[in-house]
Amino acid sequence: MQNRPAVVAVGRTKFGEHYGKEPEKLIEEAWLTASQECDLERRDLEACYLSDCFLPITNKLGLEEGFLSELTELHVPMEATRSVSAALVTACQAIQAGVYSTVLVGGIEKMTDRWDKIRDDLMLLEEPWSYYAGGTPETNHELMLRAYIKKYGVTGENLEKLNEALAQVAVKNHANAMKNKYAQYHREITVDQVVRARKAAQKPLGLFDFAPISDGASALILTSEAAAKKLTDKPVYVMGYSSATDYLSFPARDDLTHFTATRIAMKNALKMTEKTPWDLPVVEVCDQSTVMELVSLEDLGFCEPGTAWKYINESCNDYKGYYEIDGKRLYVNMNGGLKADGNPLGATGGAQVFEVFRQLRGEAGERQVEAGQPPRFGCALEFEGFGTKAYVTVLGRGEDE
Amino acid sequence: MSSEPIERRVSYLGDRLKATRCKICGKEYFEVRDYCGNCGRKSFRKMENIDLFYEKGKLELCTLVKDPTNKFMKLGSYVYGIISFHDGKIRVSGRLTDQIVNDGDEVDFSSLEGREVVPRFRRRYSVGRSEVIPTISLAFTLADEYYPHQKYTIVKPSKEYDLPGIVGYGVYTSRFRIKEGKLERSVPFVDEDAVTAAVEAGKIALIHSGVDSGLFGKIYVGSESNPYAVKPIASKVAQVLKLGEEEEDIQGVDAVDTEFACKAASSMFKDAAALVNYPKSGVQYAMVIGADNSQAAPRGCPGGELDTFVGYGAAAYVFGKYDVIAEIEGWYSCTSDTPDFWRRDGEMFPMHGGRFTGDPAYFKHVRKATTKLMERLNLQPGDLDYFVTHQPNPQFPVKIANELGFKEEQYAVSLQVNKFGNTYSGCSPVGLAAVLDVAKPEQTILVTSYGSGAGSDSYLLRTTKQILDKRQRQKINVKFQAENPFIKYVDYTTYRRLKLGM
Repeated sequence: MQNRPAVVAVGRTKFGEHYGKEPEKLIEEAWLTASQECDLERRDLEACYLSDCFLPITNKLGLEEGFLSELTELHVPMEATRSVSAALVTACQAIQAGVYSTVLVGGIEKMTDRWDKIRDDLMLLEEPWSYYAGGTPETNHELMLRAYIKKYGVTGENLEKLNEALAQVAVKNHANAMKNKYAQYHREITVDQVVRARKAAQKPLGLFDFAPISDGASALILTSEAAAKKLTDKPVYVMGYSSATDYLSFPARDDLTHFTATRIAMKNALKMTEKTPWDLPVVEVCDQSTVMELVSLEDLGFCEPGTAWKYINESCNDYKGYYEIDGKRLYVNMNGGLKADGNPLGATGGAQVFEVFRQLRGEAGERQVEAGQPPRFGCALEFEGFGTKAYVTVLGRGEDE
Repeated sequence: MSSEPIERRVSYLGDRLKATRCKICGKEYFEVRDYCGNCGRKSFRKMENIDLFYEKGKLELCTLVKDPTNKFMKLGSYVYGIISFHDGKIRVSGRLTDQIVNDGDEVDFSSLEGREVVPRFRRRYSVGRSEVIPTISLAFTLADEYYPHQKYTIVKPSKEYDLPGIVGYGVYTSRFRIKEGKLERSVPFVDEDAVTAAVEAGKIALIHSGVDSGLFGKIYVGSESNPYAVKPIASKVAQVLKLGEEEEDIQGVDAVDTEFACKAASSMFKDAAALVNYPKSGVQYAMVIGADNSQAAPRGCPGGELDTFVGYGAAAYVFGKYDVIAEIEGWYSCTSDTPDFWRRDGEMFPMHGGRFTGDPAYFKHVRKATTKLMERLNLQPGDLDYFVTHQPNPQFPVKIANELGFKEEQYAVSLQVNKFGNTYSGCSPVGLAAVLDVAKPEQTILVTSYGSGAGSDSYLLRTTKQILDKRQRQKINVKFQAENPFIKYVDYTTYRRLKLGM
């Protein structure tokens, strides 16, 4: 890739319920931690790409750019997107085109400020007709699971294993989050708890299968390769990025068991980086539900469709810190994932890049994988909506080039 | 949040489940599309509109919603899933309605998936009392339960009659009942009201009559429980049932609501008949619907004595001069200003004049209209095959029928109050439907309605040979609904909750 952009610093807030904080306090905190890390002054920023999904609804805040301008006392170009991944794509393209050399990519969300109505809003924005028909933010996940079970003929003992595997996804993510000081939950859960919550709900998925509603902010400082070398010894490059879209209406999609958008985005991102999935063993997936983590492993190409639950189940029965697929190690959602780290929509993608960045630089502390020789590449998968948009971002230390 | 333009667009598409089909490749889309994704520009103007409202769907996948979004809270728990039409060519989201899922009830998704479902026109979700009531037909019931799928086939008329009359009819009552002693009363599900009952009855009547919905020139809906003080039920019925010629999103039909307590609908039978008979009206068919979620204050409150007898339901009648099943041979109406039952504007429930509703109100007017009509047509009670009258409770109709000289075999068939309760505007029309369900050709029926306030309409009908042919088309008749094995009985508390609606 020409003029490859580099992430030189990352910052974030703890995700969770920040009832006492205004949205601007959160983004300020995220930006300050990132700028301190690479010793950057705000006046060095040439542009800002800010993402938020819901601020106009949750906080009746339009024109987020003006609000960021006031906060930073900057008058540089600023654009708003719905996800950090989308902001990152736009920022990367600007840097590759040589328009800017140093930009801020930030994300912010304040969902708890609309606690009482947020589920209605989430579903209405996910897809109006399904909302009108009585859908909730959980239903499509459950229907996808039903479709998966039917398509792959998972029955009897295998079905029990699949359900256990999904519970193990949540348990694993909560365990990972114990080592992440920014995570929303610092609480270990058990398979039994996950299963009991499903029983109480009389549904295929229960409380512990879903990511929470969160507040939070994240910030990345993105520069040109030349600028990066002045700011850090260990830049992490954006090696590839791609996105794809799918119908808003889940029932109308051809494939009800997987996310077509993920497959396309991953394929194109791999093409851009000239890599295979297994070159990227550190993966942050968008686990809005445990089902999403499961099908994403298949969509990203780490295993065949209809098989991920077996690998998850086998790996988690004796969890060593990774999923083992055909003898290979796959590190998924080391920060706790959306499930336990939190899911403040507009900021979530920033936390994913934050994690991959730390892992590749060997700075993930207790969460560090392959501590002796950290992996060189990793990727993040982020959704907008229920797989309506999928973004794949491939990051790498780039030492081999 | 409420947006009337959004509401209009959503219900325009959603009430009728409007869809589009590409005439070139056959691909189908939910909602209205101007071109097909497969065929691109060459499909422009080659897309045909289809409605899924009369179709049968299949529940492909489902799950339980136990923690609905705010606006669906009043539905409690419900099954929600993906429904396909036309062998999977179209897939939409939908919820199952007419089901009460209690905490702890096991819902077996596998046994529901794959079952056939019928779209039902219902309230969509709860809104504030001042807002437009949202509706949708993405609510479904299982086709092998209370309400089966019936195909709507347009039949070319074969015979013109000298006198106008009833061309078809339909009765709709809900799946739920409250049973107290020998009296069963129909109870709306929480997403039903007078509007939804009117549409369902109209749909069943269209299917029975076989009349092309585009040929209707007028629709009257009589009700005293319209959830709006201002906004007709008839306009909703016209739009959902596609009455009159459709151009753009407007129906070429006159739609109007009428109100006169329990005779709001029966009063319009003669107007509809006269209209289709007037040579220059241009109206081939007119529909009259009586629909009520019969109102009553809770027991123990003023007006609560009505809560023993009120029901829920609607009856729809198609009037015309072609393929008539019962000709109208005469009528008589009478009126006096008698305050036996009333509801002031803004009040939730009607008030009731106690014993005053008997002799000086119900009996006086029914007696007057019936005797006057028989006198005019020179008929004796013994000359008639059937007598139908308004049924505010099980005793009144029997008492007046006996007093007028009718025998039990003449009026027993029409007595439906024991099955459905008093369905107000739908009451005597439901009784008449029960008779039409069984009557033989060339039989005479005298039907006398009663509306508080007060007045009565008496009609003499004579059945034709075609009554037998059309009977085959109607599975959802009065008996089918009264003796349905899928009826669900509810207790008084549940009944009040369901009746108050969402």
